[in-house]
This record gives sequence, structure tokens and C-alpha cells, in this order.
Amino acid sequence: MKKKRMILLKWLLIPLSIAITIFSGPAGLKAEELKGTVSLSGAWALYPMAVKWAEEFRKLHPGVQIDVQAGGAGKGIVDTLAGMVDIGMVSRDIHPAEVDKGAWAVAVTKDGVVPTASGRNPFKNDLQKKGLSRDIFIKVWITGQAQTWNDVLGNGAGQAVHVFTRSDACGAAETWAAFLGQKQEDLLGVAVYGDPGLADAVIRDPLAVGFNNINYAFEASTKKPLEGIVVIPVDLNNNGRVDLEENFMSTRDEITAAIKRGAYPSPPARDLYFVTKGLPQKPAVREFIRWVLTKGQVFVPDTGYIPLEPEKLNQGLKKLG
Amino acid sequence: MADMRWTRLVKAFLSERGSLVFHLTLLLVGYFVLVMLFGWFISSVLVFILGSILLFWQTLTRLAKDLFARKFMFGLTLVPGFLVFLMLFGLFWKAKAILAVRPIGRLLLSSAWRPSRGEFGLLPFLAGTLAVTAVAMVIAVPISLLTAIYLSEYAPRRLRPIARPVVDLLAGLPSVVFGVWGVLMVVPLVERLARLFHTYSSGYSILAGGIVLAIMVFPTIIHVALEVFSSVSQELRDAALSLGATRWETVKKVVLRKSGQGIVAAVVLGLSRAFGETMAVLMVVGNIPRVPHSIFDAGYPLPALLANNYGEMMSVPLYDSALMLAALVLLLVVLFFNSLARVILVRAERRAL
Repeated sequence: MKKKRMILLKWLLIPLSIAITIFSGPAGLKAEELKGTVSLSGAWALYPMAVKWAEEFRKLHPGVQIDVQAGGAGKGIVDTLAGMVDIGMVSRDIHPAEVDKGAWAVAVTKDGVVPTASGRNPFKNDLQKKGLSRDIFIKVWITGQAQTWNDVLGNGAGQAVHVFTRSDACGAAETWAAFLGQKQEDLLGVAVYGDPGLADAVIRDPLAVGFNNINYAFEASTKKPLEGIVVIPVDLNNNGRVDLEENFMSTRDEITAAIKRGAYPSPPARDLYFVTKGLPQKPAVREFIRWVLTKGQVFVPDTGYIPLEPEKLNQGLKKLG
Repeated sequence: MADMRWTRLVKAFLSERGSLVFHLTLLLVGYFVLVMLFGWFISSVLVFILGSILLFWQTLTRLAKDLFARKFMFGLTLVPGFLVFLMLFGLFWKAKAILAVRPIGRLLLSSAWRPSRGEFGLLPFLAGTLAVTAVAMVIAVPISLLTAIYLSEYAPRRLRPIARPVVDLLAGLPSVVFGVWGVLMVVPLVERLARLFHTYSSGYSILAGGIVLAIMVFPTIIHVALEVFSSVSQELRDAALSLGATRWETVKKVVLRKSGQGIVAAVVLGLSRAFGETMAVLMVVGNIPRVPHSIFDAGYPLPALLANNYGEMMSVPLYDSALMLAALVLLLVVLFFNSLARVILVRAERRAL
């Protein structure tokens, strides 16, 4: 019985596997069909855009699978440099230490960070009429000299300012800190995890101030600020009120247009990058980045981002080779 | 009643004599799963190799198979211990870079945490970890022990099979679910509580972290405590009750006294869980790198430090080494408490013999 069984296995299994091995292989694949996986990880800021790009790219190349996960710009860098993902989404400038470790970056779009306050803030109207200048933001987030709302608005109010920031290593906090001349670790305040987390904390506390990426401060469908949030206008010329050319915080389209024409400075507006470890080699990854820099830009304005200047896009394409 | 044909087929499939059919079917199913995942070529190669191994296996003697199985399983048993050792070694290797340029004393006792200026004081995080864990244990231990006592001594027979799965369900919920619930319910609660005590708290505080952590630690302590209580022999309880003691007196003077060491072990196990819990705590604790002065202050435990700043590792020199050192400290603390629990449990068992 055993011998019969062995003979059966020998003459059945082995030739079968050999036959299948021979008949599968590269000959079965079509040469033009783009296949593979592209994995992205990183900034909350780029997440909605990356998801949109992934959707549209898949329509053209159904054989490519694209995975996107958020976790902060820092996570994107670490994951990319460790080889765990193909592309890191980074919402801040790349540090020299990261370039030394092999980071290769290309700018793909632009967005910005805006300061926020609660919709239940008792001084909401004052805030929106006067705006806050960079100096006041520094007093709130860096030096801690602004302890009460009187220090912030000069309206005699004794209530304390509740300052919030981000706990995870992220581009939004780094960019906001860069606007105030420092680094993320210098920002004061209770640190909350993630963009949505910070928005939530500000909504729930009437005396809170925080900051968010544009796409987390504004509702994607209505393009107005999130329910329960007011975006604090930035008094750029320090004259104590929000002039006509500084008044662009009421809808998402207004702020993106302002960033495009340079009315909102960079920082807190900034380029968003795709980072890979060295020049990208995988065909799917290269094609994806190339598409993002060319045809993908068409989807940028509707998703709430600012299209990059053509020179920067061409620079990126040249870098890609 | 004679077996129906399909019953016979299934029986043959599952029995020893049907092992050929079993192997072939398994192979086929596995093959198609592999094809879906990896494509034709690789799957065929893999199945070819696997088929050859199976063939070879059929030719070995019974004794040879036994010896091979024993050696293989012994190897597998060594793997967990080896992994822990590997982790310790790996972390220490990575932490060497910062230990070489900063004295360990300054690293552990300084409260200045400014990585971009090269200051890596871990004191706020150690203090934060201890504070959150202490608050969690103060809340969790009485409640868990009393729950375990009720379930073990007082609860009607019908209640026990319902309560155990519910408690275990709590253990199975993902950490991030607790975190989200903590942000929605616990943080506003703490904020209101602080107002009652005439202080201000944003709600993101040591107390919030402690409450969330306590709830995550309940199942661990309750589970082990129940095991310990059930190991106390019923005769001892009966003896006390027959002498006229009330249930509570029995519990206090007999059950708790007998299971004292086991209770300590349960608490220490809960403590180890509390030290390491990351996600839920980091969402509610406030993440400010300062030594907390009250439970309404925000804190920054070690696991939260690692989870939050994992992203900055590559960007600042020595940062990755500092974080690995923090991870090593955390690992050593947890290992210490786990070993302590094990030693206590072993001694308790030996005494019971």
C-alpha cells in the first residue's frame, strides 16, 4: 500500500509541478501592463491628496495597488529610510541629517497651516476683526508670555489661554514653529495626537487655540471651517486689524488662492514632498510620481491644495529622470 | 445505521488512512492561496519543494520522525526567549551611541528635553510613567480585587459564566478604542473634576491617563486573582463557615490570607501591563515633557515618548539613540516586574505544596 502511494505521488506530483513551473513565468505577462504595489506613509497633511491621487491612478493602471497610511511626517521619513514603504509623505522641509541618510525628495503640491480657535470662543468676533500677529503667536506658543486673553487681544479679559499643539512628530507643528522661528519641540501647550485630534481639542474648549493643516481646518464638502472651529486671521502687517488683503480665512478657496499668490507667507504655507530612499527604481513607483507631477496636478485644486509652480514640477521631473 | 457515503468520505478524510487525501487536498488549497498572493511561478516552485519534503517524510521511520519532531519543537520553544534577548541586545547596541557621550546619571535625572540642542533628560518621562501607573493602580487594584472576591465568593452560580467573558472582552478591546473613548468621555470628566477642585486642567492629564489605564488593567488583575482564589481549597472556607464566620470574615481571614502572595503577583502583572500601555495613554495624557506636579497636570510617559517621536528619530543626531535608551529602560523595568511576579508565584506554589 505504501509503495503504491509513493509511486502515485512520484509520478503525479513532481511532473505536475514541473509542468506548471515551465508554463507559468514571464511569458504569461503583458509587457505594457503596469503592475506592482506602491506604499505611502507619512504626513496627515498629504493624506487626502495622496488618497485622491491613488484613486485616480488606479483608474488608469488597475494592476497597481496603492496603500496610503497617515502617521505624521516624521513617521513617513522613518518608514521610507527604513525601507518599509516606497514613498514617504512629508509636510515640511527635509533636514540635512535625513538627506545624509539617503532621502530623495520631490515637491508634489502645496498647502498651509492655519491657526484655529474654538467656535464657542467668547471673543470670536474680536479675533476675526483684529486677527493676531506673528509676535502674539510667538508669545502664545514659544515664550509663554501671553497667559490670558487680555495678553492676546488687549480686551481686558482675565480668562486663561489654553494652548494646544501636536504630540506626534509632524510637519504641521514643525511648519508652524518655523513660522515662529523655532522647532516643534519649542512649542508650548498640551500636545494632542494627530490633526483631527487637535481640531477636536480646540472645538471642545472655548478658550483654546491650536493650529491645523488646511484640509483639517476646513470641511471638504462645504469648504467652510469645520463645525465648531474658527480660523484666526493672521495680521501680517501688524496694524492691529484684518485688512482686506489679509481677509482670506473664511473659506478654503480663499486661503488656497491667497497661498497661490503669495499673500499668505511660506511658512506657514509650505511645499509638500514625496520622499523615497534614493532615486526611485520600481517602475510602478516611478510612473506614479511622474503621473503625480504631470497629469495628477489636475486634481489638486478640487481636493483643497495649491498647485505647484510649473518650474518646481519640471525640476521634479528632471530629478526623476 | 450504516454510514452515508459522504460521512464515510469525511471520515476517511480525517482518519489516518485518509492522510494521503488529506495531504493532497491541503496542498491543492494552499497552492491556490499562494497563487493568488504570489503568482504562478513562485507558488509552483514552493509546492514542488513542499511536495518533495512530504514524499521524504513518508519514507522516514517512526522513530526518526519522533526524534525530528522533538528537536524541531525544542528549537521553536527557544525562540521566544531568544527574541527577548535579541531585543535587549539590539536596544543596548543602539543606545550605546548616546551612552558614550552623555553620562547615564544625567540622562536619567535631567529634566531638560530639547533634542535639537542635544539635551536628552529622561526624568520627565520616568516621572510621567510612574505617576500614570501609580494612579492607575490606585484605581484598579481595589476595584479589581473586590470584583474578583465577589465573583469568586459571593456571586450566584449563574452569574459567573456571564461575568468572566465580559471581563475578558474588556481585555480584548484594542488600545486605540480605549484612547478614543478616553478623549470623548474621560478628558471632559477630568476637566470638570478639576473645576470642582478649583484648579484648571485641560482634561488631558495624568488622571485621565490613569483612569483609562486602570480600565485596561482590570481584566488582567481580575483574571489572575480569580485563578488564585480558586486555588484556595474549599475545605478551608467550609471550616471557617462551619465555625460561624460570616462570608466576609471568611474572605478576610481565610481566603485573602491564604492567597496573599498570589494577589501580589496579580497586582504586579497588572502593573507590568500598565507600564507598557501606549496608544490609549498617549491620546489622553497631554504629552508635555515636564515633571507633573499634580494629577491634573499633563504628563509624558515613556511609551508615549517612543510612539510620538518615532518620527523624529532620523532627523536629529543622537535622537534615535536616546529613544532606544528610553525603550531599553522601559523594557528593563517591565522585565523586572515580570520576574518579580514570577518569583512570587513560584514561592507561593512551593509553599502550597
